[in-house]
Amino acid sequence: MCKLRRLTTGVLGLLPLLSWASPELLEQHCGECHNDEDLKGELSLSDFAGGPSNDNIFIWEDSLDFVSTGEMPPADEVDLADSERERIVAFLTETVRQFHEEDGTKFRAPPRRLNNRELVNSVRDVLLIENIGTHQPAANLLGDTLYHGFDTHGESLGMSQFHLEQYIDSLRQIVDGVIQEGDQPRKRHLQIPSEKLKFSGRQRDFQREEMHRTSNSIDFLDIRNRVQFGNFQTVPHTGRYRLKIRATGLDRTRYPEERTGRYHDDPIRLRVHLGDEIRDFDLPDNTRHEIVVDEWLTAGTRIELSYPTDGLKQIGNGNFKFQFRIAHDYLKEHDMELYDYVVREEAPLARFRSDQPDHWVHWVKYWQGPRPRIFNAEVEGPLYESWPSQRQQHLLGSEPTLERAEEILAPIAARAWRRDVSPGELDPIVAMMSVVEESEGTVAAFIEGIVAIMVSPSFLLANTPEGIDQDRFASKMSLFLQSSIPGPDLRMASRIDALGDFAGVRSEVARQLKNGAADPFLQEFPHAWLQLDRINFMAPDPDHFPLYNRKDVSEDMIDEALAFFAHVVDQNLPITEFISADYSFINADLAKVYGVKRVPQDSQLRLHHFKDGRRGGILGMGAFLTLTADSLGTSPIHRAIYVMENLLGIHPNPPPPDVEITEPDVRQAKTIKEILAAHTEEETCASCHRSIDPYGYAFENFDPQGSWREAYTMQIAPKPGRAELVRIAEEDKRLKAMGLPPMPRPWENKPIPVDASETFRNGDSYSNIRDYRELMNRPRNQRRFVRCFITKLLTYANGVEPESYWEIEKLVERSAAHDYRIVDTIAAVIDSPLFRETGPTGTDAMLVAGGQ
Amino acid sequence: MKIKRRSFLKGVGGALALPLLESFGSIAMSSPTRFLVVGNPLGMHPDNFFPQTFGHDYRLPQTLQSLEWLRDRMTIISHTDHGMVSGHGREVTFLNGILPQQAGAFPEKNISIDNLIAQRTGSAVRFPSINAALEKGIRMSWNANGVEISPFTDPQKLFDHLFLNLTAKERKTRRQLIERNGSILDAVSDQLLHLRRQGTSTDRERIEQYETAVRELEGSFADRKNWIDKDKPVFDISEHFEDYEVTVGNRYNAIFDMIGYAFQTDLTRVATIAFPNELSYTDVDGVTRGYHACTHNGKNPEVIAELVAIESFQIAQLSRCLQKLDSIKEPYAEGSLLDNTVVLFGSGMGYGGTHSNRNLPIMVAGGGFNHRGHVDARNASGKNMPLCNLYATLQQRFGIERDAFNTSDGTFELPYV
Repeated sequence: MCKLRRLTTGVLGLLPLLSWASPELLEQHCGECHNDEDLKGELSLSDFAGGPSNDNIFIWEDSLDFVSTGEMPPADEVDLADSERERIVAFLTETVRQFHEEDGTKFRAPPRRLNNRELVNSVRDVLLIENIGTHQPAANLLGDTLYHGFDTHGESLGMSQFHLEQYIDSLRQIVDGVIQEGDQPRKRHLQIPSEKLKFSGRQRDFQREEMHRTSNSIDFLDIRNRVQFGNFQTVPHTGRYRLKIRATGLDRTRYPEERTGRYHDDPIRLRVHLGDEIRDFDLPDNTRHEIVVDEWLTAGTRIELSYPTDGLKQIGNGNFKFQFRIAHDYLKEHDMELYDYVVREEAPLARFRSDQPDHWVHWVKYWQGPRPRIFNAEVEGPLYESWPSQRQQHLLGSEPTLERAEEILAPIAARAWRRDVSPGELDPIVAMMSVVEESEGTVAAFIEGIVAIMVSPSFLLANTPEGIDQDRFASKMSLFLQSSIPGPDLRMASRIDALGDFAGVRSEVARQLKNGAADPFLQEFPHAWLQLDRINFMAPDPDHFPLYNRKDVSEDMIDEALAFFAHVVDQNLPITEFISADYSFINADLAKVYGVKRVPQDSQLRLHHFKDGRRGGILGMGAFLTLTADSLGTSPIHRAIYVMENLLGIHPNPPPPDVEITEPDVRQAKTIKEILAAHTEEETCASCHRSIDPYGYAFENFDPQGSWREAYTMQIAPKPGRAELVRIAEEDKRLKAMGLPPMPRPWENKPIPVDASETFRNGDSYSNIRDYRELMNRPRNQRRFVRCFITKLLTYANGVEPESYWEIEKLVERSAAHDYRIVDTIAAVIDSPLFRETGPTGTDAMLVAGGQ
Repeated sequence: MKIKRRSFLKGVGGALALPLLESFGSIAMSSPTRFLVVGNPLGMHPDNFFPQTFGHDYRLPQTLQSLEWLRDRMTIISHTDHGMVSGHGREVTFLNGILPQQAGAFPEKNISIDNLIAQRTGSAVRFPSINAALEKGIRMSWNANGVEISPFTDPQKLFDHLFLNLTAKERKTRRQLIERNGSILDAVSDQLLHLRRQGTSTDRERIEQYETAVRELEGSFADRKNWIDKDKPVFDISEHFEDYEVTVGNRYNAIFDMIGYAFQTDLTRVATIAFPNELSYTDVDGVTRGYHACTHNGKNPEVIAELVAIESFQIAQLSRCLQKLDSIKEPYAEGSLLDNTVVLFGSGMGYGGTHSNRNLPIMVAGGGFNHRGHVDARNASGKNMPLCNLYATLQQRFGIERDAFNTSDGTFELPYV
């Protein structure tokens, strides 16, 4: 909370501090730097003049944070007795408390557009279906802009004619997939023998289909291929279909794991694509297995099969080539006879590379790597329990007429608008429908009516000023936990006041977390909070970090973070577990990145305790360490800012616009600390960076992908060729003549040991990540962490960052009363005036409401 | 590669016949002025973009080599910026100088210069503006409501949008669809009114945003209805997709050609083309790394060479398009199409390697200006010029009689012949 912006209200600076008792302490300990001339950290004591007001309250709050955490006054400059610090803290606390309690402004979340996630879920629930349809009706929606990772931020979610037009288009496509006009389509039963299984996507000469075929099956040689049913490529009529696919896994363990990049213990999978929905199935080895998919498919849905694996990839181009070299090497070692045959008989006759028998082109058809084999398939459908279909009858009844339009549409509108529909409110929509009915018929008219209900601002915007408070609360709660509209139970519970207190909210939250209803929260909130969207904004360099780029390591890292979050929720652990745990969730690839030995060799994440004191929780996660790093180097500043903003809730000022930032130079043999020394030498940088940098240096032992390192080796370059050396020698001569130092010689650099020690401004120092982790888990920092977490929850819930320092402070107290347990804290947040949008609670109310 | 060659070919009729002006007949035979913007999100490697000397006799740096033929008709501007702090995320201010979060303080929010000009030129043509990129946009075009305009990111869709004519039946359906969508907007307008009356001042802003969207969409429907029955010009870009593999180069050629032809036939007068960070440029000779990773090269010469290859590729695509525009005579005015097309190349980021947003790489070409070679835009006290000063000047070229644009504090001298 250090938005220590210089106040522009000049008048304040002129007022004397006088009436603000106790400021002599501030004068004495802070005045030397924070005066109108020095303006350290862009703060002067005259900013406090006149007492707290809406314009400067954040300065009081920031100061309270700084002084209470001991960061100010800095330990190396001012010697402040504990008792004096406590006096200043007490004074600031009291001032802030008084200001907020007297302020009494009610917080109200402004309306915002539903984001695409919420829209899709909400439409699904309004229409009482399991998904919005497999024909990708939402594919054209404009993307949502994130705000520090959050997709619920109102100001960042724009609304324009382009949005609106896409909404109309998508919504109509979705409703079209539910409501069908005309006669019931005839059911068909199709056999798809292996000859009808066709590859889609790019075809190359060496990928000729016959290479993939046996007499009764087809194999995936190339993971980029997809297989289609030649006589059933897209779904002809919307309805329920039963697909049966007979397949098996082959050669799971023939080639070495390190060559294929795939673990022997991972099952071979087959993926069924139903438009953009996917279903994965494990295949048994060498046994014909029948997969059954029985689902509602929308007309136009493309059906395809593919082979999902995070192995069998090489970096960048030339993917297929490495694969067939494995085939070559394997035969050479294991089947000399066949190998000789290919070299003598086949390769010389080939169209290409006939003079190079070991070239990959000659070995394509001998690939025996892990792969699915598909024998045949069958499709049955469309199937209907009734006509019109059940889902249509759920919406419109069996025989909808326009006379009954209002009666039919009212429950749909009530769901969509998250409130009761007032009499006559549907009239304009019904009037529109009667025009449509004349030319297009009754069913078409209802489709348009339902689309209109969902184009309405009451659906597309959340937090609109309408309906009763209980409904508004139920909507906020369901958007928060389920990213969707509230179900009838939740609305009812809110109306009968079952959610009116902490206990009621807590049991509802616990219930939804347990039964899976709140999965969208478990998925999205940690993703946003930890800004996991940034993970490959600057992926580790492919030359130096081949594993990261060859495997889907970034996905494992994201999954690790989500698994950890789900674990803390599942066990209702204290929030501080995120920074104190000595464990996390890893698989064989992450174990390689983290240098962990002896774990099961497969892709599944499992709880693992780290014995070295360096990892566990967020502070050791690859996701955090890599998303804050450049592709070749690491930046303690980026990591410091991440820790401050996302874990401790401190917001350092951005550097002033005119600052010149030195470009990192990997050719020079300097540690990052030496390069950044400028920050602490130059006063304009130092006043902030002395507070920032210590949060980041502790992570210097982690390289750009998050692996442990004792020394920097990246600055050592391969020795250049002769010509280049001659050129450099000449350049040196020229430089020498001008009195300049010679060119850098990065190939002569020696590994430089990492120095991950630093001292915070409050005097706490650490010599490595272990000490740092210990400091982060001192009660003061744990409290800051909890505070930050609560702030993030509120940002996610309200679509705007919370401003009420004091209400958040009270929430931290309530969380503390429950040992910071996460489910209780989430419930407390929902029960707080900042979520309920009621007036501020008094201190007493807070204590009573804590009841367990 | 999602390109289906056959559907591109569908657009071919009497290909390469002299195209008719789209707006021919609907307006007087005055000559249009057009605006083409090409941008990237990561800036340019400065040593290879900015010439070492100012004036007309500079040596053309590596990245700009393909523009040798144009050197007398372009101006490279050093030392401009939007006063943004360092870091990613500010490049979205390239065409407006205002961050989205600051937009509320301005009457036209963070409207970008291309859309301001499109407001002026748009009513005469079928498409007020066209925005294109490959795979992903770079958030450079913003409307007067502070909402970003998403570009076409698939050449096929751009082609369909620009050149695909509807059959008589499709036209009828399209007209019905527009009418139906219009009725839906009508049907919800009562509710909107109600919400607006209920709302407090905090509520009102977003509700008004929704209202504006409704109003503009209605306007757009009305415009589109007028164009439905008029045939679009015929165009063939299949040559770019005949190679065995469809490369980034071919796809950008196609995009530039479509925009060029849309200018030629007066389908539109404002276009933006973006080179996104997320796109893989490994088709380009000498490139193996990601674009963004190349900017953080740690001064490693090999990686810098890759970055310069990507940047030169961007400039070469532009150069090729401008050569085409220059080979066509402007039907109702002096000079070539290029002489009547204001071209702006640049980025809202100075150079990704330093995360600097100072000294933006900016180049203006064509447009019939008296070009000035390589210009140092700093003022007497050595302060960088606000890039909006240039935009203040450019808008006047389109008859917008204003002296200021967003954060400008003056204009940039660029006389028009």
